[in-house]
Amino acid sequence: MLRFLVARLTSALLAAALSSLVVFVLMRTVPGDIVAQMLGQAGDASAAAALRGFFGLDRPIHAQFVDWLAQVLQGDLGRSWYQGKRVSALIWEAFAVTFEVAAVTLVLATLIGVPLGVLAGIVEGTRLDAAIQTFNLVGLSAPVFWVGLMLLVGASAVFGWSPPFAFMPPSVDLADNIAIVILPVLSLAVLQAAAYSHFVRDCMVAELRRDYVRAAIAKGLSPAQIHFKHALRNILIPLVTFMGLILIQILGGTVVIESLFSLPGLGRLILSGIQGRDYPVVQGALLFVVAIAIVVNFVVDLLYGLIDPRLRP
Amino acid sequence: MTARALREALSQANGMQRLSLILMVVFAVLIVAPDLVAPQSPLTVDPSRALRPPSAVHWFGTDDVGRDLFARVVHATRITLGLVAGALLLSALVGGTLGLVAGFLGGAVDLAAARAVDVVLTFPPIIAGVVITGILGPGAGNLVLALAIVYMPMFFRIARSGALAESKRTYVEAARALGFGGASILFRQVLPNVLPLVLLQYVILFPLALQIEAALGFLGLGVAPPTPDWGAILEQGKNFILVAWWISLWPGLFLLASAFAVMVFGRFLQARLGAG
Repeated sequence: MLRFLVARLTSALLAAALSSLVVFVLMRTVPGDIVAQMLGQAGDASAAAALRGFFGLDRPIHAQFVDWLAQVLQGDLGRSWYQGKRVSALIWEAFAVTFEVAAVTLVLATLIGVPLGVLAGIVEGTRLDAAIQTFNLVGLSAPVFWVGLMLLVGASAVFGWSPPFAFMPPSVDLADNIAIVILPVLSLAVLQAAAYSHFVRDCMVAELRRDYVRAAIAKGLSPAQIHFKHALRNILIPLVTFMGLILIQILGGTVVIESLFSLPGLGRLILSGIQGRDYPVVQGALLFVVAIAIVVNFVVDLLYGLIDPRLRP
Repeated sequence: MTARALREALSQANGMQRLSLILMVVFAVLIVAPDLVAPQSPLTVDPSRALRPPSAVHWFGTDDVGRDLFARVVHATRITLGLVAGALLLSALVGGTLGLVAGFLGGAVDLAAARAVDVVLTFPPIIAGVVITGILGPGAGNLVLALAIVYMPMFFRIARSGALAESKRTYVEAARALGFGGASILFRQVLPNVLPLVLLQYVILFPLALQIEAALGFLGLGVAPPTPDWGAILEQGKNFILVAWWISLWPGLFLLASAFAVMVFGRFLQARLGAG
């Protein structure tokens, strides 16, 4: 188990370094850099050369990458070329927003999705199962940002209410913060609850067809005991794996939802960084996203051992 | 499939599967003959009729420059679904071939290909899509390229594991003993056995790729503006959401319906292939 974890971590770190390199080279070989954006088309050539020298863009790409990597390994992601702030500070600020949305969404999606999925699995083949499955497939098919748009319309039509567009951290004004975060969370939660329920239902159906369930029925155990003590316990592992997957999905999904609701989160940071060719910000934020994915997967692997003693080292 | 088998499958289909079939037929008609369904031009601008709500003349209403939304949404069907279908085809061809070769040959080739795939997989799909289209710039070509790259790992993995399993089967051993070359065994014997897996993967990934395509369009990273595309229309509607909800309603419903239809079809295929 330990060897497996180390091997996975190594290959994940290798992939992270390689993906940084790919993004690094790609950004610097495509026409149009930050200098061109700052000076415009008819920019002064000597000013452009001076600015490129200032940002280090006149040096060979491999030298730039080695410098950046050396900096990162020392824990320094550099400064934003536009705002002059530390990239690490920008990332933490943005992550606080994204994390709030993602965490609340995950809790909500789990609370709705898992019971729905378990229920549908238990009553497999009935009308209730069909209704839940329809909800799942519709939820999975609806574009997240479209759900967000329709929620905006609905809230305005029914309650005459629309969310404020300036972000407020929960520590400053909780009521305002909730007002801003509620619609993004709801739109993401619909999709993820559907995904969760869809997955849990299929697991539950497969589990209830296993031999030990038949044996438990023959032994005269009550349905509740069979469903919750036996079947549910046995699908905990795929459930936890899926939770990790969903968390990463939510982090990705926030890119679109943040843009729709003007939330200053990680997705917006990446998007505006790319559009402004603010290389250190893009590079740092992407590395951060990759790191989160690695950590989530690592924690999921560790949880396996907690849930199932047979998998402990 | 014979007509009788088709009838049998239809009679066993549940409500959701029938709905999915109807939706697929409708979308096929919209793709083949959008002009028949929506005779109005999707591009003609007329400011005098801007932001009109749905009416008998303009079933879906009009957008901010007075274009007929019904025509735009209907004509976008071919563009949006076509882009996704093309991107996934490219993805399946490249990723599937790579996976097939990697799984069959194993060793250093397999290892190198697996590492390359891991790089793409480090990002959630939407973020990889945003990075690629954001850096390369918007446009249909880059959008297709981005979607193809994002889904390549999935095709690679499925083809690789298929080829790996097949290459250990007796018929491959027999073909080797008979003196057939590696390429001949791979493409004439192994490929036909792996192909159904790849095709199933194509259907399963289609609704997911469609979501990403729409999201990129919504972020302004997709097809260039005057061309009708569901994601692009949603991006345009975002700015008028509280005054003209109809701009956003319809393209979203079409996205939902097409993703739903393909998803149900994918589940049906999966169950069929799993059972048979």
